[in-house]
Amino acid sequence: MSQILLVDDDKEFTDVASNIIEFLGHDVEVANCLEEAYNCIEFQRFDHILLDFMLPDGSALHLIDKLNTHDKVPFVTLITGHPSVKSIIAGMCGPTVNYLVKPLQREDLEQVLSGKSKARKKAKSSAITKHFDCLVGESAAMQELYQMIERVGKTNANVMLMGESGVGKEVVAHAIHTASNVEGPLVATNCGALSRELIGSELFGHEKGSFTGAVGRKIGVFEQAQNGTLFLDEITEMPLEMQPNLLRVLESKRVTRVGAVKDTSVDCRVISATNRTVEEIAQSKVLREDIYFRLAVFPITIPPLRERLADIPLLATAFIEQLNAENETNFEWQNAQLDQLKAYGWPGNIRELRHAIHRAFIMSDPTSNKITLPKNFESPFAKNQMTSNQVTAGQTIDDVEKELIRVTLEKVEGNKTLAAEMLGISTKTLYNRLNAWENQAQG
Amino acid sequence: MQPTQDVQSPTTNSLIHDVRNPLNRISMQAEMVKLVLENDMPREKAIAALDKILVACQDSSAALQKLAEHARTDETS
Repeated sequence: MSQILLVDDDKEFTDVASNIIEFLGHDVEVANCLEEAYNCIEFQRFDHILLDFMLPDGSALHLIDKLNTHDKVPFVTLITGHPSVKSIIAGMCGPTVNYLVKPLQREDLEQVLSGKSKARKKAKSSAITKHFDCLVGESAAMQELYQMIERVGKTNANVMLMGESGVGKEVVAHAIHTASNVEGPLVATNCGALSRELIGSELFGHEKGSFTGAVGRKIGVFEQAQNGTLFLDEITEMPLEMQPNLLRVLESKRVTRVGAVKDTSVDCRVISATNRTVEEIAQSKVLREDIYFRLAVFPITIPPLRERLADIPLLATAFIEQLNAENETNFEWQNAQLDQLKAYGWPGNIRELRHAIHRAFIMSDPTSNKITLPKNFESPFAKNQMTSNQVTAGQTIDDVEKELIRVTLEKVEGNKTLAAEMLGISTKTLYNRLNAWENQAQG
Repeated sequence: MQPTQDVQSPTTNSLIHDVRNPLNRISMQAEMVKLVLENDMPREKAIAALDKILVACQDSSAALQKLAEHARTDETS
């Protein structure tokens, strides 16, 4: 929060501008002439002065002269509506003085008060395509996913998203919501995070006084997502005894708030998500069969990151571009670093990749544009399923070979010469194998 | 002060300034309406801001009229 002094003789402008500046989180004092401004700077310290160039009792230059006698000179933004003084003001601008020309917009005030110039705020335009405004990747597996999202988006079918932890199920839910082009909002809730007592109230809402602690009416997520999309994450963690209530809503499209006598009509697509496979769902009986068929009208399995290694450079670039935009930095990947990222298996999927990049970003020297990658990506939480699994009957030789090369590259931090030596093959053969798999992945 | 490089006469510049002031009020009041709507603030605030926009539109119109008259006088003289 900054202390702002706004000096302008247009009282209506100072009234509305001070409201907006306060809304932006700053403290603001107003002066409508030079005399009032002198009084203000005598008794109070300001971080920033927004100053009209032409005032009834003098020009802004008089105030700037006075400010220059102070120990700490505040930042000054000159405001002018006078075309003839624009060029004079531009000539005066330096590190502590800039200018704005009327008519002003909120964005102008935000920029000058945050100290960010327009040019810096505009992020470098990215060459990476964000499918449905959120998904990154051009591999064959992702193209197939985009096609499914496009098709299901045109229907109102319920979708069940399956995939390992960290593959981006909620992002895919966003993509389906975007592809649906519906009027209502996307409302997300995590069935695994709700207690047995509260899950009914969260999903269906409650009436005032329906139970101890129900001090007011609550609208449940089904009603909140009216004409939109309801995302139920970790659906298989929902208590079994609650599932018949959910089934009734899915079948009847009507919801009864806890403690209510009347039901309400609801119309939304339900996207549910789980990190279990269909086989696991069937075997472990965590989800009733009738619910499964209602929710998984269109099941989508999101591929793990290791099955779309070719997308890693795109994802890594998208993540670093986002961090650069947020922190006004200019970090760039080196090709060898992208190879290093591709050589690791990412058992924690995109979440783990994003976390590793964020950590590397923090560790990198902000005065250079080089990213410092750690030598080892392994996270204590990400269990490497592939390395813990021994070779099993039914696996193809190609799969086993791929896994062996992956694990070896991971061990030597992506050094291909060393990996080839350990594997007892030539570096050229190793490159041939890697290129072949990359081409396979790109379709 | 350095001499100005603007080609307009001082009167024209002053008249342009008089148009920009109500335009500035319109712009800021419109931002206020957006804030009210985006943040569920009392609608009376939005209505008051819209009323001020309407007044500032009339002010702009009057200032433009003066500018047009000045231009006409310049052309004939």
